[in-house]
Amino acid sequence: MNHIKLLFFATIRDRAGTKSMEMDISTDMTIHGLKEKLSADYPALKDSMKSVLITINREYAFDEAVVPANAEIGMFPPVSGG
Amino acid sequence: MQPSIFNLPTIFSITESEIDLNDLLAKITLTSTGAAAIFTGMVRGVTKRGDAHETEFLEYESYIPMAEAKMKQVADEIREKWPVIEGIAIVQRIGKLYPKTPTVLIACTAAHRDTGVFEAARYGIDRLKEIVPVWKKEIGPNGEEWVEGSYIPKPGE
Repeated sequence: MNHIKLLFFATIRDRAGTKSMEMDISTDMTIHGLKEKLSADYPALKDSMKSVLITINREYAFDEAVVPANAEIGMFPPVSGG
Repeated sequence: MQPSIFNLPTIFSITESEIDLNDLLAKITLTSTGAAAIFTGMVRGVTKRGDAHETEFLEYESYIPMAEAKMKQVADEIREKWPVIEGIAIVQRIGKLYPKTPTVLIACTAAHRDTGVFEAARYGIDRLKEIVPVWKKEIGPNGEEWVEGSYIPKPGE
């Protein structure tokens, strides 16, 4: 198993009801798999997972990427700074 | 000493403090600098374009370490496209910000104004709004709403 940390921001944090969470996932889990796991485990996040932006260790990551051990995963909506 | 990309001033930060234009400008002005293009955005209290509405305040948040790394990336992209740029400052203020308050500043300096310095500053604010992880919630007379962007970063961004 890989231990990872999730960080939620903006609308995703509101729906998650928490800023961060730690969990153990299988060593071959992809970003796509992680989104499916979160949708299944936390129904409140299901809709958000369709349009969420994901980062692995502070770089944008996409569905096929495998989540490495001790990853810091960011989850958030499209950015709106300025 | 001739400035090289290794000692050209590049400032990038997320801050909760007031943005100090004079201080930032001084830090990105070299003896060879003759021009600065500065973009700053502020909280708009009254919006007329599109969905007309009023804003009491905005509440900004950021994924700070990633945001600062992405600001550095924006500065690197500016230098690649406009190698004549001398200094770059990219600052985003976060927290609760009221109408008329500056929220973001992008400044680029160069030897002369016809060097692409205007375009460089424009590119900087456009890229910040695409890839730097900052979000704002708008609070108005009818309640609050997250402002969502529309840009989906591509691999390598």
